[in-house]
Amino acid sequence: MEELKTQLKQQIIDALNLEDITPADIDNEAPLFGDGLGLDSIDALEIILILESNYGIHIANAGEARPLFKSINTLADFVAANKK
Amino acid sequence: MVKSVNTYLGKTAIWTGLGFGVVDNYEKMLKGVTGLQRIDIEGDGQHSRLERMMIRVIEEVKPGIDMTSERTAMLFSTTKGNIANLGIECPEEGSDVYLHKMASRVCKAVGFVGKPIVVSNACISGVVAVVLAQRLINAGRYDDIIVVGGDEMTEFTTSGFMAFKSVSEQPCRPYDAKRDGLSLGEAAGAVVVSNDRKKSHGIVVAGGSMSNDANHISGPSRTGEPLAEAIRQAMGEPGIANDDISFVNAHGTATVYNDEMESKAINLAGLQDKPLNSLKPYIGHTLGASGLVEIAIAAEELRHGMVIGTKGFETLGTPMPLNVSAENRSVTMKHCVKSASGFGGCNAAVVLSLEEYSKERAVPSMTDVKCLHRCTMKNGELSVDGELVVKSEADFGTFARDVYHRQDANMKFFKMTDMCKMGYLASNYVLKDVDYKPYDIAIVMSNKSSSLDADLTHWRIQKRDNQPASPAAFVYTLPNIVMGEIAIKNGIKGETTFLVTDSKNDETAKDYARLLLSEGRYKYVLTGWCELLEGNYELDIELLTTKFN
Repeated sequence: MEELKTQLKQQIIDALNLEDITPADIDNEAPLFGDGLGLDSIDALEIILILESNYGIHIANAGEARPLFKSINTLADFVAANKK
Repeated sequence: MVKSVNTYLGKTAIWTGLGFGVVDNYEKMLKGVTGLQRIDIEGDGQHSRLERMMIRVIEEVKPGIDMTSERTAMLFSTTKGNIANLGIECPEEGSDVYLHKMASRVCKAVGFVGKPIVVSNACISGVVAVVLAQRLINAGRYDDIIVVGGDEMTEFTTSGFMAFKSVSEQPCRPYDAKRDGLSLGEAAGAVVVSNDRKKSHGIVVAGGSMSNDANHISGPSRTGEPLAEAIRQAMGEPGIANDDISFVNAHGTATVYNDEMESKAINLAGLQDKPLNSLKPYIGHTLGASGLVEIAIAAEELRHGMVIGTKGFETLGTPMPLNVSAENRSVTMKHCVKSASGFGGCNAAVVLSLEEYSKERAVPSMTDVKCLHRCTMKNGELSVDGELVVKSEADFGTFARDVYHRQDANMKFFKMTDMCKMGYLASNYVLKDVDYKPYDIAIVMSNKSSSLDADLTHWRIQKRDNQPASPAAFVYTLPNIVMGEIAIKNGIKGETTFLVTDSKNDETAKDYARLLLSEGRYKYVLTGWCELLEGNYELDIELLTTKFN
């Protein structure tokens, strides 16, 4: 699970060009959107793309996906349960 | 003596998925016909498909216009032009993928000898072009302007909107509780804007205005306040009261967020009781053509006293009340508002009036302007007010990072494209220590390659790297996004207008900035050149103000 979390962090950093940030800088519990990492709705779409390309998880409605993206922990739980 | 003029809407022609001609389109819409398919035309050896669409609509409105006069202008509105011809290699100079080149080719085909003006301002382009035409004519720059707009349905844009998950599988249903996204369409349109009453078809372009949300580059404002302000300003110019607005033709893309924002804006503007419609269910979202095509239809509605129904509408699904109906409505007409909103946070509104209710407008006298601050970036050198601030031998990315580390940290910087980084960094120097309120400043920029650098990124992800389209890459495939980034960072809510031209020496943008200041619309205009393509870059921007400030 820790490996998956680090992997997700690196994929997010790569996809969003978050220079100056390493996986270690991202707290597993901290909010990804808003105050935490400061991601926004376009970034949410990029994360959906990461899930599709790397884990075979398809999400049709970006709005519904929002709670899953609360933190690295919630995202990793979701990926672990749904990856193909 | 103060001279005053009226700005008339002359001949109009449109070509959409429904067919050719304004009357044909209008009648089909009244009957509830949907035309979301591609237009039946192909490119020939000489002209691309889009150019042929544009040439056809111009030929329809051209009779009676002196195409060889210096008092005539041609103003183009498009988001992506001939993007269908883009490959994974950077197109050579002279390629028709360059918007100004496309415009020149069309001008040549229709016998126009002057230099075209090209507006590329996301989905509000068409409305901006008509507002710009009205302002240029009102200021006495031209007698007649042919405004022509066009955008094609291409894999380039479709893949991007799909990645944004904003395309509905059904024909779109604006303002409805069950709306789930937009329908893409394609169209070309041409309208004549003139100071000559003889060319009028009974309609006057009474006023217009633009604003920026200063909120997000793709998501619309959460309050709708900037769109409401654009509508208020557009009505305020000719002094039209809310009671005299007969209907509103809104943007109505049927994405959840756009329609939500519009409902808030319409209420803030006090127009929630006015019959309101969206034409997108009939012809789809035709992007850079949409404002123009919908203005042509709105003029037809004004003339006939009919508000076309919003097909597919059943139950209102917006947070604030709107007067939408699926049925056509017979309305007593005086004036109407046409609005649009787009990526980069931009909003536009224009007011059309039946001629008998219109008032002449005073011609502004031009005032002198002065430059408060200037910033240039080229070949690794950044200068502010003539002094070299940063010198670097490195590539643009390293150079930009170096400059960035001298300014406020903002993580969003790293997500930006190079062109946005450049404009963003330079504007921070130019706006430093300047005291202003959100609506005090406008931004008017121009360049040569539009957003081609970002276009190549979006296209290469799909065609070279065989990856799915990236929403974060797609959102930057519009040149006005750089102004959106500057507006967000600096809280600028005035208009953000982008022109594409073949040369830095083209004075159109600066002349327009001067006009905005002379008319007293803004205290400051941030204006200049912002060109970046494949690592080659040149920026030269100034903060202008009137001599009295």
